[in-house]
Amino acid sequence: MKRYAYFPGCSAETVSASYHLSAVEAGTRLGVEFEEIEDWNCCGATPYTNIDELLAHALCARNLAIAEREHLDVVAPCSACFKNLYHTNACLRAEPDLADHMNYALEADALRFEGTIAVRHLIHVFVEDVGLEAVRRKVTHPLTGVRVAPYYGCQLVRPDRHDGYDAAAPRYFEDLLAATGATPVDFPYRLRCCGASLMVANRPAALAMVRDLLRSAVQAQADVIATTCPLCQLNLEAYQGDVNREFGTEYRVPVLYFTQLMGLAMGIGRKKLGIGRELIPPTKVLECVARKAAAAEAPKTAEVSHP
Amino acid sequence: MPPATYHTPSFAEEISNEMYATGTRGLNCCIQCATCSAACPAVAFMDHTPRRLIGMINAGLRDDVLNSNTFWTCASCYSCSEHCPKGIRPSELMYALKRYSIWKNRYRGDLVGPEFSRLFVKTIMRTGKSYEPGYAPAFIFEGGLRGMLREMQFGMKLLAKGRIPLLPSRIMRVESFRRMLSRIVPLDGIA
Amino acid sequence: MTQRKRLMIIDDDPDFVAAIRATLDEAGYETEVAHNPRDGFAALKARPHDLLLLDLMMGRGAEGVMVARKVRKDPALKHLPILILTGIRQQIAYLFPGQGVDRDFVSLSELLEKPVKPELLLERVGALLAGAATAAPGVS
Repeated sequence: MKRYAYFPGCSAETVSASYHLSAVEAGTRLGVEFEEIEDWNCCGATPYTNIDELLAHALCARNLAIAEREHLDVVAPCSACFKNLYHTNACLRAEPDLADHMNYALEADALRFEGTIAVRHLIHVFVEDVGLEAVRRKVTHPLTGVRVAPYYGCQLVRPDRHDGYDAAAPRYFEDLLAATGATPVDFPYRLRCCGASLMVANRPAALAMVRDLLRSAVQAQADVIATTCPLCQLNLEAYQGDVNREFGTEYRVPVLYFTQLMGLAMGIGRKKLGIGRELIPPTKVLECVARKAAAAEAPKTAEVSHP
Repeated sequence: MPPATYHTPSFAEEISNEMYATGTRGLNCCIQCATCSAACPAVAFMDHTPRRLIGMINAGLRDDVLNSNTFWTCASCYSCSEHCPKGIRPSELMYALKRYSIWKNRYRGDLVGPEFSRLFVKTIMRTGKSYEPGYAPAFIFEGGLRGMLREMQFGMKLLAKGRIPLLPSRIMRVESFRRMLSRIVPLDGIA
Repeated sequence: MTQRKRLMIIDDDPDFVAAIRATLDEAGYETEVAHNPRDGFAALKARPHDLLLLDLMMGRGAEGVMVARKVRKDPALKHLPILILTGIRQQIAYLFPGQGVDRDFVSLSELLEKPVKPELLLERVGALLAGAATAAPGVS
């Protein structure tokens, strides 16, 4: 059993509960255990850096210091949380004065940052630590014929990563989807920002960015968009009505978490994966899984009738 | 003793100094290639493209820069920084300009970004966590009544799917959390 | 002629620096300036100074706090008098309107809020230098 300090992020308790559920279910099936960081706090998103970047570091440093007490690497399912925690970890390791300053602040909560753990994104844990072969072995209901747009988004692949990832042309999401039996489509906008941080600050800009992504996915004939981030999921799914009103389009593209697709392919029940909370039902995906389930049942029935 | 003459930093040097920790060699090494503008997914909504904004900073057009909506239209996606051939990190410049305009009390009051950031930061200072859909408090001023109704319809859809909490969540050790932050920003009212 | 006192100024605001520098020059002090914390600390380490005039909000945030704490921890610098010159209350009033400055973050010598009148500046600088001379003779 691989163990990680799990940083759910604020949206896991609310808008993205299904991501949280499906991550834990898929993890359990693959021998990964997520231990929630005790009394974790918000990562600061972007607004803290807008005002004082040292405050932003303090928020992340507190979470890292709590995880360090357990000697566990941190895993974040939200790409924005991942980016912030990763960035602070890297900055504090690179700048001892900054780490010292954060430790002065952390003293107030009886904590200390030592820089002994790594920060990972959930998808990297599944791709690297678990491995695609292990995923393939657990697939019982391959998503054959389902065309999935792998949406990496921006924070997952940026910035300042020096740990071997190819930020310009990553392939691991496509490979993971292929391991579930699905067909990853060629999705030109897979690395482009969805505009989540602008949905309040500049709504017209954010809606146009969502529109661009939906158009790219539809042109790629995707049945579903797979995301690695609750902000992307909410932004791409919940604002499709607004996009259609604003631009006179008729998009209706389901948006699922990659962990939900993994879970379905591994035969985990819909409810356990939080499926049913979508605003746009992923019909094609569910039909495929139902066909696979029926096919699995059929030989058994045949055996019973001809003993 | 003759009066000393000193070099007073230009606006470009002033902003480059605020970015000292990003490792950039300074904004004046910009070659105006516009890779940042081409990489930006929000460029159509900026009154000056990132390339032009850097050019304006280098030309010393302080007021025009501060009156621009460009840095509040940045989505913080880092695409520009990833591609800049001179290592300028324009996304960090946008953060630096947001901070600069706030610290100088020169942020544009008609933009939503500064007020949204303020509400977000204050919420987390109070509770340690953000209330999702974190945007809720901002909706009220974002589009007046029309915006609020629109968001309520949107909110109702999520509520029906069990995706909105009825109460905001908070961390347990809020007091020591605030004491921690007051060691970063030394003001009386935080802890 | 006694040796001129050398003052280090670390502040990101070019206009403010130009103003206080003119005042301090006229009073016969030698001044050195850095506009970011990194260059400022490097200058403190490179040459002896008699007083540090330090801003708080610079670069990423309240980095002056970081600099002051680092100076106090440095064996060669820990007795250096620090005069904080800050506009932090105005700069962050956006977030915390009306809050006072907490002066206890480090054993500071003195904290003045901007804007600073030239007479007050010269008076405090003179007092800090005199105090340092009596408190730690031989420490420059």
